[in-house]
Amino acid sequence: MHRKSLAHRLRRSVTAAGALVAATALAAVAACGGSSRSDTAAATASATDKPVTISFLSYNYGTPDIGGQGTQALLDAFKKEHPNITVKPQGVAAADVLTKLQTDTAAGDPPDVAQIGWSKMAAAYQLLPIVPVQDIPTKSDWDTSMAGFNQHLLSAVAVGGKVKAVPYTISIPVIYYNADLFKKAGLDPNKPPTTVDEVKADALAIKSKADAEGAYFAVVDSGKSDYLTQSVIASNGGKEIGSDGMPSFDQPAAVSALSAMQDLTTSGAQPAITATSAVAAFAAGKLGMLVGSTAALASIKKASTGKFELRTTGFPSFGSKPAAPTYSGAGLAVLSKDKDKQQAAWEFIKFLTSAEGFTIITSKIGYLPLRPELATDPKYLQPFFASNKLLSPALAQLDNVSPYRSFAGKNASQAVVALQDDAVEPIVLRGADPAKTLSTVASQVRSVLGQK
Amino acid sequence: MSSASEIAPASPPRDGTSGPRDTVTGPSPGRRPGSRRARRAVGTAGHHAFLLVAVAVMVLPVLWALATSFKTAGGVFDENPLPLPPTLDNYRVATQDFPVWRLLLNTTVMSAGVTLLQLLIAVPAAYALVRFPPRAHRAVTAIVAITLLVPPQSLVIPLFLMISHLGWRNTLPGLILPQLFGTGLAVILLRDHVRAVSPTILGAAALDGARPFEVLRLVLLPILRPALGAVSILLFITAWNEYLWPVLAAPDIDHATIQPGLAFFLTQEGPEYGPLLAGSMLATLPIVVVYFLASRRVTDAFMHSGLR
Amino acid sequence: MEERGTRHAPPVGRARDRARPWLYLSPLLVALLVFVYGPLVFTGVLSFMSWNLTAPHPSWLGLANYQRLVEAPQFPHAARNTLLYAAGMLPFATVVPMALAIALWKRPGRTSAVYRALLFLPVVLAPVASAITWQFLLDPLSGLVNVVGSWFGFGPRNWLGDPSSALWSIVLITSLKVVALNVLLFGAALANLERGVIEAARLDGATEGEITRHLVLPHLRRTIVLLGLLSLVVVWPWIFANVAVLTQGGPDGSTDNVYYRLFTYAFTFFDAGTASAAAVVITAALAVVLGLGLLGARRTNGEPVPFTRRLVKVGAARRRQGKRSSVLG
Repeated sequence: MHRKSLAHRLRRSVTAAGALVAATALAAVAACGGSSRSDTAAATASATDKPVTISFLSYNYGTPDIGGQGTQALLDAFKKEHPNITVKPQGVAAADVLTKLQTDTAAGDPPDVAQIGWSKMAAAYQLLPIVPVQDIPTKSDWDTSMAGFNQHLLSAVAVGGKVKAVPYTISIPVIYYNADLFKKAGLDPNKPPTTVDEVKADALAIKSKADAEGAYFAVVDSGKSDYLTQSVIASNGGKEIGSDGMPSFDQPAAVSALSAMQDLTTSGAQPAITATSAVAAFAAGKLGMLVGSTAALASIKKASTGKFELRTTGFPSFGSKPAAPTYSGAGLAVLSKDKDKQQAAWEFIKFLTSAEGFTIITSKIGYLPLRPELATDPKYLQPFFASNKLLSPALAQLDNVSPYRSFAGKNASQAVVALQDDAVEPIVLRGADPAKTLSTVASQVRSVLGQK
Repeated sequence: MSSASEIAPASPPRDGTSGPRDTVTGPSPGRRPGSRRARRAVGTAGHHAFLLVAVAVMVLPVLWALATSFKTAGGVFDENPLPLPPTLDNYRVATQDFPVWRLLLNTTVMSAGVTLLQLLIAVPAAYALVRFPPRAHRAVTAIVAITLLVPPQSLVIPLFLMISHLGWRNTLPGLILPQLFGTGLAVILLRDHVRAVSPTILGAAALDGARPFEVLRLVLLPILRPALGAVSILLFITAWNEYLWPVLAAPDIDHATIQPGLAFFLTQEGPEYGPLLAGSMLATLPIVVVYFLASRRVTDAFMHSGLR
Repeated sequence: MEERGTRHAPPVGRARDRARPWLYLSPLLVALLVFVYGPLVFTGVLSFMSWNLTAPHPSWLGLANYQRLVEAPQFPHAARNTLLYAAGMLPFATVVPMALAIALWKRPGRTSAVYRALLFLPVVLAPVASAITWQFLLDPLSGLVNVVGSWFGFGPRNWLGDPSSALWSIVLITSLKVVALNVLLFGAALANLERGVIEAARLDGATEGEITRHLVLPHLRRTIVLLGLLSLVVVWPWIFANVAVLTQGGPDGSTDNVYYRLFTYAFTFFDAGTASAAAVVITAALAVVLGLGLLGARRTNGEPVPFTRRLVKVGAARRRQGKRSSVLG
């Protein structure tokens, strides 16, 4: 009895082990061999009529919040317009998107369309077989579809002049503020701060007169994203990353931007806590101002209902320099190699980023409509913006966004983590010397980026 | 609970000898009468104080999580731990907008499968290593012990590649079998318990004509019940808490398990703390059931006087 | 009288007897071969390569990954932290649960069953939920821990945000789970202890302390060592869950450990080569530590002391103190 099962097990284990070895070899060989990709923009007209099934990986799908409901609404609306294209959605926790994409690709079965966070996009370009979306449709199809799209944003995300991933659920940092605490501190909630200095002054007023913490810039992002770092540096006229993909955050403009952030903490205007803790404090009505992404708008609104009056205003500027926040959120990328699926993927992306798509995205999930005319079009979003003023400041700043940049090379994510962990956090929260720290970390990052 | 000595101080000595009674019942030289009872009382008070403090610390986070699961979205951030006003909305979201029962079912099946398989493999192995170790038994022990040292995060990717090439993604075998990488722990724990069993009992059974497998099944297993109870709880919980492996091996919602599922509440638009905690409360139910089922074996043994 | 702890008999020479152990061991060996050693070989090979599993051409790097691991400040720092974690968890894996288990075992009954069930609670809460709970409890501004501390005059502390307290905070909150599980495991070990002789010793006037020290502890000696060593193995996923949710290795890398490093290399940087090198280094280092630990344990005492001999020892101790007893004398 034992012998038979032993032999059976042995055979199975050998098969499995052999499969593992073969799989590794196969994956390497297969990927090695297919290095030339024959892509073409020549779409066959009949491709959109055949029944096609595409898979869609989205970190909003299936979540028990507005993100999940909004995504379902988008899927339902798409199904109505394109009955021949079946979209099979897959959910994933936001933190696991790249892991899933990497392992799925390694297994030879990546999703056809994926929603990828912008801070992870550069890593995705390195890691995954992404087909530039702009390459899929004909030029005229692309131009027509993207005509009403925010051109500034579109050129900001383009890589080498080509759009690889299309912006989808995009958010911009704003100042959330507690109108009740403003009043308690003797400040006028109709005149929120517009510069960093005004933020500091108002924060100190709140701290002393309203028995609450003053302000918090979520530069030390809990997900170690540098989008707010880039926003702050760009608003001071500097650049976190040079056009060669190398660090330039050790330059004077960046140093003084981060010094200003440190000054907020040391002066007591800003508590030395984590971003998560700050959001909790703001939602509890114990923090006057929170500078963070509009993605959290809906959940902050829900937490503040019945507690205090929530208001928003645009990202602050440094003195007279123009505020230049960068964006966060996600874009849509195509990973499919099959021509028909690529066309279907394009139709899907086209729909999601159409006027109808953004109407659902903005009204149901709360991300920014990336087609400017929608906000004033009564058919689409004008009614929404009439009764929802909280998103308007971000919308107004969409035309001034600075592009979100990434470090060059395959170690870019390591560089970002080094910047956030070893420079930004110690400087802003624990009083590390800005110039020295940034300079040390810059050379650290340079060597990391140069590693193979 | 007072011990038997308080109730029947006059009973004769256990081993049958009849020594002078006053050494058993009378006060020992140098001790005041009644002080033993006083000491007992202090001991009891200390015992309960010690345990109550421990219990309070252990229970605090669970109580907090339970209370917060009934709080409104704004109430979650209140300093007051109590939900005022309480709401069932989080539970509504956790049960209606979220397939919590399906996830719990999947997780229970997976954990039970992993636990049973590990026990099926580990018990005979532990038995053999103690009762009739092969000459290479030290090498075998080393081979098993080394598997305990390998970080699971590093195994996840190759195991994933293995099952995806076998077409086992989103299947029960694909989810369960690779988790056998942790079987070494069960073997080491059970080996220790088997060693503690008196060889005389097992030897006597063998002398009675029982074959090794019968000795294992009929004599050893009943003796091992408390150990099996404790170890199976440990194995079940380890499998229950797995996150990374189910994310990769069973991503489809039909086959997904609860830990990746709960992570869905940490959305990009802000964590949904209330529903997360409500879902977690629901997720404690299967574990509590398993605990009561398996720990009965452990505590029953405490009631009896151990080995007969 | 029963003798415990003598060696079990070695196998007899017949072919069937020689094959028997392998029959019983083969499912285990096959499972470990397929699900541990196979992947381990894959990892070992990968540690010499630069490949993120999706790029077309992996390249051979030789020892470059290992070099990078050792030279970058994070890994050695994480290794040092790992030792601190291990040292911090050790008392909670041995002394604390043992004391609780003994206390519970000495007074069996309904109260103890209730205590036992309540002590188990930390383990039933999902790791994510547990971490989020502590995130709130330890919040520097409004967390319950600081609020209660302020009643007693303690100032607010940034438990998880201060590099000097973050690691120990993680140790403490993870220790609850370790204690809960090990109370169970110590309890199972105590189940083998004859209650009758303890009763007799009590009858004779032995104090609880003497009973614990001379009768109970020696029985548990091997379990203590075993659970101590095992905790060094089993505790890391729980620590990982807390670090991943609460501190992400910070602040200033103070809560980083080699497992979190490994995870970061593998799933944040997608550098499978360096991650594999880290895995190999961790496994090898643990093997050395475990080997030393086992050698040490065998040196001090591998055999449990027979029960009768212990009784005689207690009797001798008490006689020295001038007490007379018929059972233990």
